[in-house]
Amino acid sequence: MRLLAPISRRALLRVGSLAAGGLRLPQLLSAAPGRGLACIVIFQSGGNCQLSTWDPKPGAPPEIRGSFQPLPTSVPGLHFTDLVPRTAAIAHKLTVIRSMTSDIAIHDVARRYVMSGTRPRTELNHPSFGAVLSKEFGSRNGLPPFVSIPGREDSAEAGFLGSQYDQFVAGDPREKDFRVKDVALPEGMPFEEAVANRRLLEALDRRFEAAARSPLMPAMDSFSKKAFELVSSTATREAFNIHAEPDALRDRYGRTTVGQGALLARRLVESGVRLVSVYHGGYDTHTGHEPQFRKIIPDFDLAFSGLVDDLEQRGLLHTTLVIAMGEFGRTPKVNPAGGRDHWPGVFSVVMAGAGLPRGAVLGRSDATASLPAERPVKVEDLAATIYAILGVDYHKQYPGPGRPVAIVKDGEPVKELVG
Amino acid sequence: MRLTTLLLLAICSWSQTRFESLRIEPGEIVFAGPGASQRFIVTGTTPGGSDEQLDLAPTPVDPSVVAVSGQDVKALRPGSTLLRARAGGASASIRVEVRNAPSAVAINFDPDIISILTTKGCNSSNCHGAIAGKNGFKLSLFGYDPQADHEMIVRQHGGRRISPDQPEQSLLLRKPSFAVPHGGGKVLPPDTHDYETLLAWLRQGAPAASTGPRVARIELHPAELTLTASPAPRRIAVIARLTDGSTRDMTSRVRYESPVESIASVDGSGLLTAAKPGLTTILARAMGKAATAQVAVLAAPAAAGYTQPPSANFIDDFVFAKLRRMNLQPAALSTDEQFLRRAAVDIVGRIPTPEERRAFLAHRDRARLIDEYLGHPDHIAYRTLRLEEWFRNTQLFSQGRPMGTFKYWLRDQVETRRPYDETVRDLITALGDTARNPPANFWFPATDFMLNKFDVRQMTPSITRLFLGIRMECAECHNHPLENFTQDDFYGLAAFLGKMRVKIGHGVYRRTWYIDEKAELEHPATHKPVAPRFPGGEQPAIARPAERQNVLARWITEPGNPYFARHTVNRIWRTYFGTGIVEPFDDMRSTNRPTNPALLDRLAAFLVENRFDLRALDRLILNSRTYQLAATPMAAQPEDLERLLFARWFPRRLPAEVLLDSIAQLTGVPTPFPDHAPGTTAKEFEIGDQPSYFLATFGFPRRTTLGERDESATLAQSLHLMNRATLRDKLENTAGVLSRRLDAGEPDEAIIASLYEHAYSRMPTAEETRLVTAHLADEKTAGRTRRRALENLLLVMINSKEFQLNH
Repeated sequence: MRLLAPISRRALLRVGSLAAGGLRLPQLLSAAPGRGLACIVIFQSGGNCQLSTWDPKPGAPPEIRGSFQPLPTSVPGLHFTDLVPRTAAIAHKLTVIRSMTSDIAIHDVARRYVMSGTRPRTELNHPSFGAVLSKEFGSRNGLPPFVSIPGREDSAEAGFLGSQYDQFVAGDPREKDFRVKDVALPEGMPFEEAVANRRLLEALDRRFEAAARSPLMPAMDSFSKKAFELVSSTATREAFNIHAEPDALRDRYGRTTVGQGALLARRLVESGVRLVSVYHGGYDTHTGHEPQFRKIIPDFDLAFSGLVDDLEQRGLLHTTLVIAMGEFGRTPKVNPAGGRDHWPGVFSVVMAGAGLPRGAVLGRSDATASLPAERPVKVEDLAATIYAILGVDYHKQYPGPGRPVAIVKDGEPVKELVG
Repeated sequence: MRLTTLLLLAICSWSQTRFESLRIEPGEIVFAGPGASQRFIVTGTTPGGSDEQLDLAPTPVDPSVVAVSGQDVKALRPGSTLLRARAGGASASIRVEVRNAPSAVAINFDPDIISILTTKGCNSSNCHGAIAGKNGFKLSLFGYDPQADHEMIVRQHGGRRISPDQPEQSLLLRKPSFAVPHGGGKVLPPDTHDYETLLAWLRQGAPAASTGPRVARIELHPAELTLTASPAPRRIAVIARLTDGSTRDMTSRVRYESPVESIASVDGSGLLTAAKPGLTTILARAMGKAATAQVAVLAAPAAAGYTQPPSANFIDDFVFAKLRRMNLQPAALSTDEQFLRRAAVDIVGRIPTPEERRAFLAHRDRARLIDEYLGHPDHIAYRTLRLEEWFRNTQLFSQGRPMGTFKYWLRDQVETRRPYDETVRDLITALGDTARNPPANFWFPATDFMLNKFDVRQMTPSITRLFLGIRMECAECHNHPLENFTQDDFYGLAAFLGKMRVKIGHGVYRRTWYIDEKAELEHPATHKPVAPRFPGGEQPAIARPAERQNVLARWITEPGNPYFARHTVNRIWRTYFGTGIVEPFDDMRSTNRPTNPALLDRLAAFLVENRFDLRALDRLILNSRTYQLAATPMAAQPEDLERLLFARWFPRRLPAEVLLDSIAQLTGVPTPFPDHAPGTTAKEFEIGDQPSYFLATFGFPRRTTLGERDESATLAQSLHLMNRATLRDKLENTAGVLSRRLDAGEPDEAIIASLYEHAYSRMPTAEETRLVTAHLADEKTAGRTRRRALENLLLVMINSKEFQLNH
C-alpha cells in the first residue's frame, strides 16, 4: 500500500488499488438502478472537530493543534489523532474527505443542509436522504425503509414529500430492556391480548364505516394493519432485537448509544432497511473541548471501527455505504473557555464501503484546518456522491410546492469517488 | 362517420327534451373579413338544470352575410346579422359582424414568440435556458430577458439563425421542425399554429415589436362542461379577442392541456373525450394567453326525481345549484350528535364534553351551539394556533426566540374580533423592537439563519402567497413561465420593503426592524435601484420612504384587490372542509380554476361587506347546511366529485393538538407540558421547535414554511397510538376516568355508556353494549382483571376511527 498523500498535489490520494473482494464502483453502477445498496450514517451531532480527529495539524501553534497527538494509521503516511486509535487501525478500509466546506454555522440549518444536500430555505422543506430513498425505493421485507436512532431528528424529515416518507424512530438500543419504539408488544402485553384488542377495534371500526367514508380511511386501515403486522411479526422484532447479538460483539461496538446504535443499524441493514442514521451527540464543545472529546470520541471510535469491521466480516461492506459526519467542523483556534466553536469553513467526512476507494484521502485543508487548500467539496457535491453511489438519479425533479424541485440542484458527484 | 352517428344519437336524445334556455357560444363574433370562420357550440339547459350540447345548425337572419356549415359559421361579405337557434321550446341568438379589413395579427417578439419558446420548453433550464445555453444558442430562462433573446436570435452569430429572404429556410424553424438534426428533437412540426406564428413573424421581418391588432385574450367555450356516461366526444371552441375588437377562431390553434387525462382529454381539433367520472380543468394556451374550462364527468346521466334540499344561507344556494347541475345528490343532514362533535372539533379544537352534549340535546339549536362555541376561550386558543401557523410563529433554526410575544398578540386579534385586514396591515407595516411591538415578529422568517440580515427576496413571495394566494417565487429569478408575473413585478413589489433593515437589539433573540433611508434594492439585471411598483406597472406616489410599507399594506388589503378577500375566504373554507374552493388553496393563479367560482366570489363579497370580520365568516359557514351534511357516501356518486363540490362531509384526522387534548379530556388526565401550568392544553402550549414525539408524529407543523399542515395518515401514527406505553399514564392514572368510575362502583354497562358518550358524543346502541359487554366477559375469561380489560377498551376506543376522525 502506497500513500501518495499529503505530499501529492493530486486531489485524490489513492492507496494502491482496491482491496481484494471489494466490488469496484463502476461494476456496482452498471447494476440496476437502486441496486439495493444500504446506507448507515453515524451523525456526529453538534459538529465534529476536524483537528481533534481526522485532520491533525502537528505543525500548527498549540492554540490550534490542541493537545491531541497525531497517530499513524494503517495507511502509511496518513495520520489521525490518538483519540481514534481503532479507526486508525482500519484506515486502509476508509475514504477520508478533508476538504468539505460549507458556510452555514447554525446547527439545525446545517444539519438539514448536510443531510439533504440542499440549502434550507424558509419557503421549502427539502426531503432528507432517507426520505428520498423511501420515496424512490420503498420498503423491503416489510421493514420501514428509513430508521433514525435513537430519537426523532428534524434534519431527517421528509419535508414536502409528506410524512409517509418520514423517518421511523427506533429508540435507544443501549437501554437494558430496549424494545424498538412502538414496535414491540408494549410492556409485556401477551400476543393474545393484543389480538383481542385488535378484534374489538375492527368491530368498532366496521360499525363506524357504514356511516362515513373518506380516502383517508383506507390509508389508515392499511397503516393500522401494517402496524399490527410489524408489532406481531417475529421477523420484524428480530430485526430490531439487539439482544440476539452475542455479548462479545455488543462489547466490540461498545455499550453506548452510538455503539449499540451502530450495531442495531447493521442488523437493520442486514434485514432490508435502506438507510439508518445513528445520532451521536455531545460534539458541541463551546467550553472544555478536550475533556469532552476525550469522553465521547472513544465511544465513537469503538462504534465506527466495530461497524466497518463487522460489515466487512459479514460480506456486507461492499453493499453498504457507511458515513461518519457532523453538520460542520470546529474553530481552528481554541477559545478562552477551552472550547471550540462552530466552523463550517472546512471539515472532514469519513466514508467506507459500497465500492469506495479504500485507504484514500481526498482533498486537503490549509495549515490551520480553516479552509480547504485543495479540492474543496461542497455539501451539494457530497450529497450527489451519496446519491450516485446509492443509485438515485439525483437530477430527478419532484413536483415541489409550486414548482419542480431537483433532489440535488447544484452538486455533482466527486469523480474520484464514484469512478 | 362518427359525427353522423353522434348527430343521430344527439337528435334522438334531445328532440324530445324541453329546454329552459338555449345558448350559442362564443357570444359575439367579429370577423376581420370575409373568408374567416369560427367554431360555435349550442347548448340547451334542461328544466332540471343540466346542460346538453346540441348538434343543430343555427340560421343566420341575413344568409348573405354568414353561412353555417357543420359546426362552423363562415363570413361571406361585410355586414352584420344575427345567428338564431331554436330547440325544445327555447331559443337563442348571437350577433355576428363581418368587417371589411382582413389583416394579419401583428406578432410581437414579446410575448408571442417568447411564449412559443416557453411552451415548447426551448428556454427551460435543461435546454437553451441553461446558464451556458445549448450548442452556442442561449436564451434567458423562461424568457425573462426578451431583449437579449431577440438579440441572440436575430443578430448573434452574424444573424445565421434567420434568413430574411427565405423565412422558411431560417435555422430558427428548420432546427425545431427537425428539417436539420436538432438535439432537442422535433418540437415544432411544420403544420402547427406555433410554426405558422413563427413563420409569420419571420415574414414580418422578425421585429422586436410591431403595430397592429394583437390578441387581448382568449376564451374557451363552454366554461363549464358537464358530461354524462355517453361515449360521445364534446366540442369545445376557442376564440381570440383582438385589441381592435375583432375575433379569431383559435379552436385548432391552441395547445390544450388536461392535467388529469384519466378524466378527460382534448385533441388538437377541440374534441373532448371523457374517460372516467371526476372533476378537472382543461386549459388552452396560445400567444402567452390562457383560458380554462371546468369539466365534470358524471357516472350516470341525470335521472328524474332530483330533490334539492332547502338552503340555510347563500352558501347552500351556490353549492346545491352546482350539485344540481352536476346531477349530484347532497348527503342528508347530519344528526344533532354528529353535528355537535364536528362543531366542537372544528371550533373549540376538542371533543365535546358530556355536559356540553346534554345541554345541546336539551335545546338542539345548532345556531346557538355555534355561537356558544365561537365565544368559548378554547375557540380563541384554537384560532390563535391557526394564525401562529399562517404567520410562522416558530423558534426558527433553534435560535430560541420567545414564542409568547407574537402568540399573545395574535390571541388578542382573535379575542377582540379585530378585522382581519387591520391585522394584516399591522403585520406588513410592523417596524421596531420585536419585544415591544409583537407584530414585528412577522419578519423573522425572512432573516438569514443568524437572524442578522433581512432578506426582502424571501419575504416578497411569502407576502403575496400568504395574503393573496399568489406564488411569485419563480419570478425572483425569471419571468413566471405560465403566468403574467415578470421579474420586474417581483422586484417592484420587493422594493416596498427595500429600505427595511434589521439590527440586533437588547438581547440575543430580540431584533429591531427599521427603515434605512439610504438603502436601496438593486435589480439583479440592471443593477439599478428599483422603485416600488405594483404588478402590472403602476407606480404609486410615495412621499416618504417610511410610507412604502403602508402603501403596500393598503394595496394588499383594499376591498378592490381581487385576491385578498377571495384568498382569505378560501383559506378559512379549507380549514373547515379540508378542501378549498380553489386547490391548492394558496395558488389563486388565473388558470387554477375555483370549483365553484360564484360561491367564492359571493363569499369574498360577504367578507368585504362584513369588514373582514372573520368570525362572521366562520358563523356563516358553520350555519350552512353544506357544513352540516352527513359523511355518508351516496350510492354511485364519484367520491372525488362529492369531495370537490362539497356534496357531503369528508372525515379527516383530528389535528395533533386536538387529538392530544381530546385524549386528555376523555381520560381525565391532562398532558403535562414543560414550563407550563398544569392543565395547559396543547393548543395553549407555547411550542418551540422541538415538539413532542406525539405532536410531531401526528402532523404538528414546523411553521418554517408556508402552507397547510400535513393531514395524511402514517404508519408511525398507527404504531404510536397502538402502543399502550404512549397512553400508559392516561390509562392508569388514579385520578383518571376509569379510577373514578370504578371507585364509584359503577357497573360495566354504565362505564361503557359513559365512555361512548364522551369519546363518540353518542350513547351506545343496545347491540354495541352487548358487543362490548361480551368482549369484557371474554377478557375476564382470558384472565385479565376488570381494570385491565377496561383500560384495553379505552385504548381501543382511542384507536378507533370514530374517535380519531372528525366526521
